[in-house]
Amino acid sequence: MRHLQPLNKKARRISDHVTSLSQDVVALQNPQGGQPRPHVPMGCSLMFSPGWEVDAAGGTAGLCQPVERDIYDCWVTCYWPAQVPDHMNNYPNWTSKCAAATKDWRNLDLVYP
Amino acid sequence: MRRGLSASFGIAALWTVAALAQAQSNPSAPASAEKPEEGIPVTDPLVISKCGTCHTKDAKGNLTRISWERATPEGWEEAIKRMMRLNGLTLTPPEARSIVKYLATYHGLAPEEAKPVMYMAEHRTVDETSIPNDDVRGACTNCHAFGRPLSWRRSKEDWKLLTNVHVALYATADLAFRRGINAGSGGNAPLIAGGTGAPPALPVDAALDFLGKNAPLHTPEWAAWRARMRAPRIAGRWLVSAEVPGHGRYYGEMQVEPGAADDEFTTRVTLTSVKDGSKLSRSGAGLVYAGYSWRGRSKGSGPAGSSPDDVSAEAREAMFISPDQLSAEGRWYWGEYQEFGFDVKLERATSDPKLFGLDRVALKTGSQSARVRVLGDNLPAQLAASDLDFGSGVTVRRIVSHNAGEVVAELDVATDAVPGKRDVSLRRAVLTGGLAVYDRVDYIKVLPDNALAHLGGDVHPKGYQQFEAIGYQRGEDGKSHTADDVELGPVDVSWSVEEFLSVYGDDDKDFVGTLSPTGLFIPGAEGPNPKRKFSRNNYGDIWIVATAKNEKGIDGRPLAGKSYLVVTVPLYIQWDQPEVGK
Repeated sequence: MRHLQPLNKKARRISDHVTSLSQDVVALQNPQGGQPRPHVPMGCSLMFSPGWEVDAAGGTAGLCQPVERDIYDCWVTCYWPAQVPDHMNNYPNWTSKCAAATKDWRNLDLVYP
Repeated sequence: MRRGLSASFGIAALWTVAALAQAQSNPSAPASAEKPEEGIPVTDPLVISKCGTCHTKDAKGNLTRISWERATPEGWEEAIKRMMRLNGLTLTPPEARSIVKYLATYHGLAPEEAKPVMYMAEHRTVDETSIPNDDVRGACTNCHAFGRPLSWRRSKEDWKLLTNVHVALYATADLAFRRGINAGSGGNAPLIAGGTGAPPALPVDAALDFLGKNAPLHTPEWAAWRARMRAPRIAGRWLVSAEVPGHGRYYGEMQVEPGAADDEFTTRVTLTSVKDGSKLSRSGAGLVYAGYSWRGRSKGSGPAGSSPDDVSAEAREAMFISPDQLSAEGRWYWGEYQEFGFDVKLERATSDPKLFGLDRVALKTGSQSARVRVLGDNLPAQLAASDLDFGSGVTVRRIVSHNAGEVVAELDVATDAVPGKRDVSLRRAVLTGGLAVYDRVDYIKVLPDNALAHLGGDVHPKGYQQFEAIGYQRGEDGKSHTADDVELGPVDVSWSVEEFLSVYGDDDKDFVGTLSPTGLFIPGAEGPNPKRKFSRNNYGDIWIVATAKNEKGIDGRPLAGKSYLVVTVPLYIQWDQPEVGK
């Protein structure tokens, strides 16, 4: 790609799109093994898929965009039991007031186990 | 990218279900043939009647699980609330209070065991250095702070049962137990640690091994404390030194009066701000668990202001009372994320003179007639300049005024005084390291250096973050940022934010929130923001920058320091046990 230059508008858009794909996930591309681990303040989870509170690099670059798009995945799979209510055992009705989190996110309550 | 990760997670989940049965017969698991450890018999009739229907009692008075566990008040409160949520336990609030009191006292931690995890009850954000290795880090702290398991003591068998409960309640706990630190990092991570041939050693086995050795049910500390434990006799007058980030230091007293039971008390606190002399009075109540663990509540007498960091706010209190009941320390905190608080140190008042501190903690070499207020209690009525000593190179020119609570003195500091901290003494009362002498401010540190704020304000509460800029002198070795550097107290700075470059062109600093002139970060609103790419939330990573107004570096430019702030989404589940202070 380095030797190919876009000539017209469409080619430039394709080129920009490819660049944005690689640039927008810069923080995700650090390999996990052997690298110094981020310091994460207490209460945060290191797990990342897509991550909650902070991503595996200790920042927010890798969080879902917006997080509401993925919040039900966290809830259904009980992925962050310490960060998001879980569906299986503790809070089966957490999302009952909220059909689509990206729209009705105001209806999601904080819970105090 | 995201879809790929989810798919790999799905496969991993299937794999783990299949492997669960295999792990049950894992030969490296602790042998159940070991002689079972002796339990701690439960003697409280209410605990036996309420818990004993499921937790059956043996001939020695042990209730299953409960007799092989010890924990902090918060640990027991959380367990009891889970029993009510999932296991059909019904309790009235007075019954729950009584059960937590009994368990946190007679199945509690020894003071030496509780002190290292007081940051959990005090809700401090700390860098946990207690995690021994990456296996344990992966098995436990992928999801929660390591202070949570360390708030408990259990028999080896009970630690193992606890991991079983994790797998039963939270499907993904098993993934963390097997893949440890690599859980969640996609499809490339090894599923099992360990070499070929040998039985696989899982991260969870490393965690069980560590906790079995380092957090066992029976310890010499607990045996000693069980004998030494006594009712808290803490009524009376206590001297209080407090510090509120962003508000400076406060000194004053706390009157503790006996309450309804011999471990319950009411409190009245009066504090004076060193910064502006304003008075603050608070009243509250609290109780003492296990003879040393204070949990209470208090609030200011005046109407709470509209500012979130108002020091009159209703606060919860967690304090560690020394076993001899002569001193105490802890935190009185408030805020949705417990982000505001008084860091307090208490000492029982005596008839002897006592020094609290100075209104300024550092003086520059060559200072002339620098006015210093020495704050204390029971200071003598007759006082001469020679009664005060500020250490080498500092001379007391004269005493301007004095009363029982403070002495105002004028000091000269020699131009060749050795930089460093000095003890301040007034006759026999000594304030260790009370005054620092410095030749120049070498650098500024912005605290906290790792900070977290939570978006909010629309429906969920905001999580704020207060910053402070502290000056340092390079110390005897001549190098900055080393252990011998001398802390010089807060520096007058102007605050600003800078982009932290993690993603190109995301302009986090325009969305995450605002920083007040006093260093209080106020986060933006939660929820998707259509103005951002992909409607991403207002989260982001930024630098908080403090630039000194008066201090310049050796290059002639104003000194500056910065701290990394993560502004993130609301925390939807809040592991917090406010009931223990009621």
